[in-house]
This record gives sequence, C-alpha cells and structure tokens, in this order.
Amino acid sequence: MRRSKSVLLALFAALALLAAACGGGDQLESGGGGEATTASGGSEGGELTAGTEALDGAQITVGSKDFDEQQILGYISVTALEAAGASVDDQVNLGGTDANRQALLSGQIQHYWEYTGTGWINHLGHTDPIPDREEQYNAVREEDLQENNLVWLAPAPFNNTYGLAFRSEAADQLGNPEALSDLGPLIENNPEQASLCVETEFESREDGLPGMEEQYGYEFPNSEVTGLDTGVIYSAIDKGDPCNFGEIFTTDGRIAALDLSVLEDDQSFFPLYNASPVFTRDVYEQYGEALEACFAPIAEALSQEQMTELNKRRSSDGERPQAVAESFLNDNDLLGGCEGG
Amino acid sequence: MSAPTQTDDGLDRRAQLDTQAARSEVRTDPDAMTTRQKLVHYASIPVFVTIVLVLLVVWLSGQELDSIEARNITLDNVLGQTQRHIYLTVLSTIIVVALAVPLGIVATRPGTRRLAPVIIGIGNAGQAIPSLGLLAIIFIAFGAVPVLPSTGVVPVVAALVAVSFLPILRNTMVGLDGVDRDILEAGSGMGMSQRQVLRKIELPLAIPVVLAGVRTALILNVGTATLAFLFGGGGLGFIIFTGFNLKRTPVLITGAVMAAVLALLVDYVGGLIEEWLKPKGL
Repeated sequence: MRRSKSVLLALFAALALLAAACGGGDQLESGGGGEATTASGGSEGGELTAGTEALDGAQITVGSKDFDEQQILGYISVTALEAAGASVDDQVNLGGTDANRQALLSGQIQHYWEYTGTGWINHLGHTDPIPDREEQYNAVREEDLQENNLVWLAPAPFNNTYGLAFRSEAADQLGNPEALSDLGPLIENNPEQASLCVETEFESREDGLPGMEEQYGYEFPNSEVTGLDTGVIYSAIDKGDPCNFGEIFTTDGRIAALDLSVLEDDQSFFPLYNASPVFTRDVYEQYGEALEACFAPIAEALSQEQMTELNKRRSSDGERPQAVAESFLNDNDLLGGCEGG
Repeated sequence: MSAPTQTDDGLDRRAQLDTQAARSEVRTDPDAMTTRQKLVHYASIPVFVTIVLVLLVVWLSGQELDSIEARNITLDNVLGQTQRHIYLTVLSTIIVVALAVPLGIVATRPGTRRLAPVIIGIGNAGQAIPSLGLLAIIFIAFGAVPVLPSTGVVPVVAALVAVSFLPILRNTMVGLDGVDRDILEAGSGMGMSQRQVLRKIELPLAIPVVLAGVRTALILNVGTATLAFLFGGGGLGFIIFTGFNLKRTPVLITGAVMAAVLALLVDYVGGLIEEWLKPKGL
C-alpha cells in the first residue's frame, strides 16, 4: 500500500523537478520575466527617454534585500520618494537577491538598489567582471535595459565587495598580514593557521575564491576551508573558531564593531559592487527626470566611509534602518533634489 | 496487579490510534510472494532511482555548462557532498536511537509511567521548533560555551538529534504501551521476571512500531541535513544553495535531485531493515 503510494509521489516529484529544469533553463536564457507589459507600449528596445512628470501622486513599490545595508538603502529610497510626493508601498526587506530581482522583473515592485557586480555576474550571467567602475556600470546599464527593460541610475561611490578579514588580536600569531599577497607565505609555512570560512557562493564564483587563488598564486588547503552562512562568518572569525580568516563584505558594520582587520586586495582582484538605484522602464519613462534629480545627490553622498558608518549604526548600535536612513538624508540636506522635483 | 484501563495510562488517544494503525496496516509479506512479486517489491525503487539519475546525467550532458556550473557539477563534489549528507543523517539517527529507545523503555515502566506525558511534551517541543530556528539556537548556545564548537558536525548533529528525537521516543512508548496486557500477565504467570517479560515479550512485539519511528527520523534527518551547510556541516544543501544564489539551474537541479534520490533510498533501506528485523509471524 504505502510503498506504491510513495513511488507515485516520488515519480511526481521527479517529473516536477524535470519540468522545472527544462522550463527554468529556458527562462534564464531569455532573461525570463522580461515580458512585463509596458504601459507606454512600443518602446521595447527603442530609445530610452526620461519622463518629465513630477512624482506627485506616483505609485511606487520599493523592495530591498534582507541585510542591514539593503534595509538602509531601501528606507533611503522610501524617504526620498515620499519627500518627492510619491505614494510609496514599503516592501523593504523583501528577501534575497533573487526574490527582489524576480519581483522587479514581474512588476510587483518598481525599484530596489542593486550592485553592479551582482547585476553583471548573477543576473546577466557573465563570469568575468570588468575592473573599471565606470565601464562596469555602463555595461550593466546597457545590457539590462536592452534585455529586461530595467533602468540603472548613477551608482553610489561606495564599493561593497568581497574581502578577507581576521581578528585583530591574532595579528602577531598570523605573521601580521596586511594584504592578500601576504597569505602566500603563511599557507606555505603554517597551513593549519590558514583556515578560511566562506559562504557557498564565494567558493564557486569566478570573482570569489577560485579566481582569487589563481590571481594571487596560492591555494588554501582544502581541509581548512569551511562553508558557513554569511552572517555566521563574522562571529566565527571573531572567535577564531573554526577559522582564522573569513570572507566578509567590505562595508559591513561588524568589521569595526568586532575589531576585525581587512586584508588589502593589493592586486585589485575583486569585482566592483557599486550600488545603483534600479527602476523599471515604465516608471522611468514617466518620472525619469524627477528620479534622476532626486537620487543623484543621494547616491553621490554614499561614500565608503559613509556607508560603513550607516551599517555600523544599524548592526552594532541597533538603530532602526528607518531612523538611520532619515537622519542620513536630513543631516546632509540631501532631499533638496526630491522636493524641488 | 490490575491492568490499567486504556485511558488513564498517561498516553493520549492519538497515540493509541497510531498503534492500532501501525499494527493493522496491510503489509506485503515477502515470504508469501511469488518470485515475480518479490522482484517488483524489491527492485522498484532502485530501478526508479537509477532511471532518475540516468535522466539527470543525460540532461546535464546536453547543457552548456559555464565555469561556475562545471566547477560545482563534478563527480568528486557531488559524491563528496552526498557522502557527507549520508554521514550526518546516519550518525544523528544512530545517536537518537541510542538515546530515545532506552528513554522510551524507562518511561513506560510502572514506576515512571506518570512521567510519560512530560517526556512526550519535551520531545514535542523539540519537533515543534522549525529546524532552521533550532540550528540557529544551537549555534548561539554552543557559541556561549567555550568548549563546544559552534560550527561543524557537532552542532549540526545535535540539531538533527533534537528534531528527530520525538518520532522514535513516541513510537517506542506507544509500541511498548500497545502490547496486550494479558500477554504480559501470562508471562509473569509463567514465572518470568520483569526484565524477562520486557526482553522476551514486550520489545519483540513493539519492534514494528519502533522501527516505523526510526524510519520517520531518518527521512526527517535527510531533509533537515540540507540546512547543515549554513553552519559548516556541508552536505547537499551546499550544492542546492550555490545553484540558487548564483542562478545556475543545472547546479540547483543536481543538488535537489540528489537530495530527493537520497531520501527515497533511505526510506527504501529503512523498509528493508524493518522487514528483516520484524519478528516472524507478526
């Protein structure tokens, strides 16, 4: 009885998986979800023109990913758009990268902040990043507009890329490394000290561990590499258990809070992850000018130091992301471009 | 010595019903089958799994894999993580059996019967907490104790044990409880000691129900072990989430299919063990 039932179930599950495989594969190839119907119609693939309408009364749903920096960026957008008179549906902290991307492609949200490197590698499926900030941004902007009708506004200068860090108090024990190049001798002489914590993604990305090892000409011993959840890595390297070194994000507030030292990427290997406000084409063709005027000064003000400081206020001082976003915008008088629109 | 009635013995009615269900379930008895029936009975799952794996390999070989996909879909990596997954599942199930079965026996002895609801309650709580939450709690708790590692096999196995503890404990108690009191009386009447009654009558008669619990625990553990990678435990979750995070469908499908196949095989092997250990004539 039960046996035949479970066989049926298994068969069903396998079929579903296979169907998902075939369907999913095709969808990714063609930049799935790009079928969002455009209200303006006929603008598919043609010239992009920034709309001139003021944001008064515009309906915009704002999403964000589910980590500190993204929540702050999400609320920066909510606050700015409301200041410009739009009526905002707050979907900040919507989910992971994929959830936001799919919601944007299907028109369930009209805006979230995305990183140039993520757009290029994760969404557009390239394996090799472009090392120049401006060129990387232009390449992403062009391709995502052509393929998916998404508009990337000017990016912020801060770069939330990968880095390797260790607990500062262990510097002596680890031979006082300052840059990634310094890890070569350590791996050579004390392989058991060269323990590394990484998240799943980092271990298989071109712009992650494999590429980094190739660029710097050394390889971490396989037995010393542990896969962990992104959030767990910070406390693991703070304790030095199970690893001395860990993969971190360079603007994370916990670096300062836990007194971690970040190794310099002395050969500029890691890709650029500059955050840019991304909008759907429909919204841009209606309100483009007002959006540019509103977001340009805000993005400009988000320097590396500024973003790290905002993240620290969220992650180690426990401030709410709304409060961090509002005080950042008000203290720096950054809402002028929005209200004037 | 009057036998307690069916309702005041500390076990809920649902458990009673479960026992009856487990006992009265129509089971295919391999001894009473023709050769052909036997073949279908034993070969269906392995054949099905083989077909699925062949389809997976065929589909993968038709895909143009980019470097990220190629790096993840190597025989080494897939088999390595599968092996790791099996290791986590089996190790935690062995530990649970070693802990929960004796506890279940103790909890159904006459002196301690009043504790039964309490023990079941604790086990219930362990199963009611979502497994990801439980992993996170164990990570934080182990982190607070200097000697305990908060990442790696130890905390992951601890979480798996907590999640699958209840089915085995409950089935042990229910199985022992479901043994007909008259038979036990008869055993005592023949001059058997309490211990002999337990060993020669109660345990053999309870085994089918206990084993059903072990099987449930195994399946639960296969599923929960896909979260082990978050805390340095590795396993197939690593492949699944790499595929998900990087939007590499072939990687995601490979991990998911392997996990599904593993769950099927574990259930199948569990079924074989059940048949093999079941006392003849039940």
